[in-house]
Amino acid sequence: MVAAHALSQRVPTADGILAILSEVELAVQAGETLAITGASGSGKSTLLGLLAGLDQPSAGDIVLLGQRLGDLDEDARARLRAGRIGFVFQSFQLLPALTALENILLPLELAGRSDARERATHWLARVGLSARAGHTPRQLSGGEQQRVAIARAFATDPEIVFADEPTGNLDADTGARIIELLFELNASVRTTLILVTHDDALASRCQRRLHLVAGRVHEAALA
Amino acid sequence: MTFLRKGRCAAAGYPPAYSLRVLRLGLWLLRRERASGEWRVLLLALIIGVGSVSTTGFLGDRIKRAMSEQGARFLGADLLVTSPRPIDAWPGHALRTSSALEFASMVSRGDAFQLATLRAVDAAYPLRGEVRIADRPFEAGTQRPAMPPPGTVYADQELLTLLNAQVGDAVLIGEATFRIAGVVVEEPGQLAGVFGFAPRVFLRADDVSQTRVLQPGSRLTYLYQFAGEPDPLAAFADALKTRLDSTQRLMGSREGVETLRGAFANADRYLQLTALISLLLSVAAIAIAAHRHALRHYDQAALLRCMGATTAQLRTLYAVQLLTLGLLGSVAGVAIGALMQQALAGLILPESVARLPSLGAAPVGVAVVSGLLALAGASLPALMRLIRVPPLRVLRRDLPPLPVAAWLSALASGSALLILIAWYAGDARLVGIFVGALAALVGVLILLARLALMAGHGVQKISYGPLRFGLAQLLRHRFDSTLQLGAFTLALFLVALLALVRSDLVDGWRQQLPENAPNYFLVNIAPHQQEAVAAYLSQHRLEASALYPMVRGRLVSKDGVPIADTLPPEKRDSNSLRRELNLTWTATLPANNAVLAGTWHGERRAAAPVKGTPVGAPLLRSDPPAEISVESGMAERLQLAVGDSLGFQVGDQTLAARITSIRSVKWDSMQPNFFVIFAPGQLDDLPASSIASVYVPPDDAGVLPGFVKTFPGITVLALDKLIANIEAVFAQIIGAIQLLLGFLLAAGMAVVVATLLASLDARRQEAVLLRTLGAQRAYLAKGLWSEFIALGVLAGLLASVCAEIAMALIAERLFDLPLRLHPWLWLALPAAGALLVGMSGWLTTRHITRVPPMQSIRALG
Repeated sequence: MVAAHALSQRVPTADGILAILSEVELAVQAGETLAITGASGSGKSTLLGLLAGLDQPSAGDIVLLGQRLGDLDEDARARLRAGRIGFVFQSFQLLPALTALENILLPLELAGRSDARERATHWLARVGLSARAGHTPRQLSGGEQQRVAIARAFATDPEIVFADEPTGNLDADTGARIIELLFELNASVRTTLILVTHDDALASRCQRRLHLVAGRVHEAALA
Repeated sequence: MTFLRKGRCAAAGYPPAYSLRVLRLGLWLLRRERASGEWRVLLLALIIGVGSVSTTGFLGDRIKRAMSEQGARFLGADLLVTSPRPIDAWPGHALRTSSALEFASMVSRGDAFQLATLRAVDAAYPLRGEVRIADRPFEAGTQRPAMPPPGTVYADQELLTLLNAQVGDAVLIGEATFRIAGVVVEEPGQLAGVFGFAPRVFLRADDVSQTRVLQPGSRLTYLYQFAGEPDPLAAFADALKTRLDSTQRLMGSREGVETLRGAFANADRYLQLTALISLLLSVAAIAIAAHRHALRHYDQAALLRCMGATTAQLRTLYAVQLLTLGLLGSVAGVAIGALMQQALAGLILPESVARLPSLGAAPVGVAVVSGLLALAGASLPALMRLIRVPPLRVLRRDLPPLPVAAWLSALASGSALLILIAWYAGDARLVGIFVGALAALVGVLILLARLALMAGHGVQKISYGPLRFGLAQLLRHRFDSTLQLGAFTLALFLVALLALVRSDLVDGWRQQLPENAPNYFLVNIAPHQQEAVAAYLSQHRLEASALYPMVRGRLVSKDGVPIADTLPPEKRDSNSLRRELNLTWTATLPANNAVLAGTWHGERRAAAPVKGTPVGAPLLRSDPPAEISVESGMAERLQLAVGDSLGFQVGDQTLAARITSIRSVKWDSMQPNFFVIFAPGQLDDLPASSIASVYVPPDDAGVLPGFVKTFPGITVLALDKLIANIEAVFAQIIGAIQLLLGFLLAAGMAVVVATLLASLDARRQEAVLLRTLGAQRAYLAKGLWSEFIALGVLAGLLASVCAEIAMALIAERLFDLPLRLHPWLWLALPAAGALLVGMSGWLTTRHITRVPPMQSIRALG
């Protein structure tokens, strides 16, 4: 489903070249759940961005959904993501002008689903927010916003969901409920789930964990 | 799963439905975001810009079409020949003809008298078009021949009002009495007469002799009209062309319209350039709003990229949003323009507004294209950045969009704006002047704004409380403040300048006239009347200027070469070449004249006229040319210098004259003034009438009806009325421009609102912080008010400075008026600025003081 070989990311800084990721090797199978963990600045989010095709590595290869990302330009990578990959972000990334239902509709409309509205309504119900369909993000709590974001990520029936610190902006209780929801939905639709977290509780729910220290894989083990 | 596959194939293959979907998505997002501030400002600015452009566009188009549609009706014939002398011999033809004689004369009723333009017509007049005569004022009237029954005249409404007369009343023209038989409601060429000063009277050609107003030297225009089939008309026109001299003019229905259109086109162009300034100010507001829109949509664009949107799709999505706004704004602007042009038409053409054709479609296209070009020019750079947002921004929010090559975005917006300016300005020279003047103005305004802000810094240091806070805000957002200050100063400055031009120049000129400056001109005094007139005036103790004889002649050659050939093409259109000049002769340099070059000719006398010498023929040594003095402005326009030999055509004679002096003339002295003054001798034998100016104290005005009755052929021109007429026309035009300046003020306010919106997030953050730290709402509100009022006052003060400087330059350079300050301006403009900027600023930002800090903090999240 996703594979990375000798993946490195280096950026120029005032003090010289900074290696954010070095020689990362990774293979994730369909339906697998993987947690990428590590301290702040260890390169977790960078790795997630590279695996999802949001950025290009300095060196190494990534194969995503059977395609070598190095062979694709920015637009071709976008086309590859359309409808096949879902995202959940730490800061939710809901569009403030759209209601909860409309935020879920957005990727469906973009992918041109003819039953977009039914699917969006269905997924809003799955995350327990049917009553809040017409509310804008400003009228929702942080936990509710993240539930809308999760519904949006799963609404297109993606093959992979990438989640970046999905509980990072939430309190412990809310975070726990969000974790439950995420894994429950993941189990029911058998999506591959790759998430970045420094929350051990969350990481422990994944089948595998990839621990990064200063951009290198320190430990890759079953949770 | 089949469902999934279907969706995926569609996405990868890009069927047309996919682009359609992006279009739909763009419109959907636009609809959801319609309430956002930047869309509103963008739309408002666009409406203002398109509104101002379509107002002038609609009106110009209606007037031009009125001219074209009327065609022959406008001229009253298919062919018209005008001549200062009767023409007896015509090439053979089988066309319908009509002839008329036009001249100015006094018309009186009781003690009231008025100069009118009389047209003596035959039964066939007009050959094309129609004359409508009503039995009572303000009625629609019926179509009738222009020739009234014997012993009667038709007069227009204006004359009836001026003479306090009604249909059926008797009026005196020269020595004959006529009854007013009807009111002229419509006549051919009436649009041309919109700015005419003298009211119109129709009388029978065979009644003219009874009036005895025509004498040798009278200014007459003979009008010969022809109508018929195109081929005979063309043959006749060809045969005629070679026989007409330079004082005679042949006009086809097209030329008649073209002449008018040329005159109108200049006025129209300046109105359109005023509209263009509003459009460009709107462009500034749009650019700021578009920039803020892009800033606020970087996250959205990054998210859409994450979801699989390609660059092309993002481009389509945002372009369709802009295009939709562009069309909405253009339609609303055109609707406003359609309403405003009616008001403008009422101001410029109060008499003819009902006869103008309905709104045309062409200006709609022009306005919509202008709006879209302005929108494209203003928002392309922001849009180009927006679609280059990296998808990784969803994870790292600090990532800026990929930079767009500066030259590319400058090229995109610069070329759109240049196309706009070039389109409106018409020719390259005007584009250069406009762009140069605009750049200079913007530079000066920025400099002034910076200086004013530096001064504000000083005030801030010594102020306290909310005022100190408000001024600090103004200084902190220095770029925004400069922009707001510049835009609003420009708008206020232009409004003030027009108001001053209207009130100051006319008033100022009147004020500086000596108390007993002449207020009447006596024109057409026949040689045999000179002594009687002088006796009449001295009997009534009236002070008159010297009598100046006048002969009409046309300047035709310089040093033996046709005058037009000696000039560069752009100077050949000079008025001095197109019409006959009033030539006079005197040995004494008139008061208010000063010799700038050469020597005044004095008493030296020249030889008799050279009769029948063809234009350009070498002059004989034995015929030493006359000495003449030429006015300096004319000498400059026609590139004349002391020593040049000029040829004049007077009637059928050609005179040669040599320039011996160049003179300055104080044109506003209310004395008879002349472009060309001959030494006594050469013109003496030609048919001449004289002109004099006289001061009649208001209490003695009763003398004048007696004078008119005693000397019916002499035209009495009331300068007061003439000035009032000029003022009225001036007021019409300035009123029209001021209406357009309303758009300019609105555009200035749009810039203020757009820049404030752009800083709204930062302001909200500051307000939240201050409220959290304990600042009360009232404190923040006062701070905001202080900031905007200070901005408005500064803009008002800067506009006052600019207006005073501009007025001083105009008054000194163009009108030779003394320098005058306008204390009221220094109060009115800052007050207007404070009110307008204060209101728009407060309305835009007031809610940031009302939101509870907690809610604000969450919103900023």
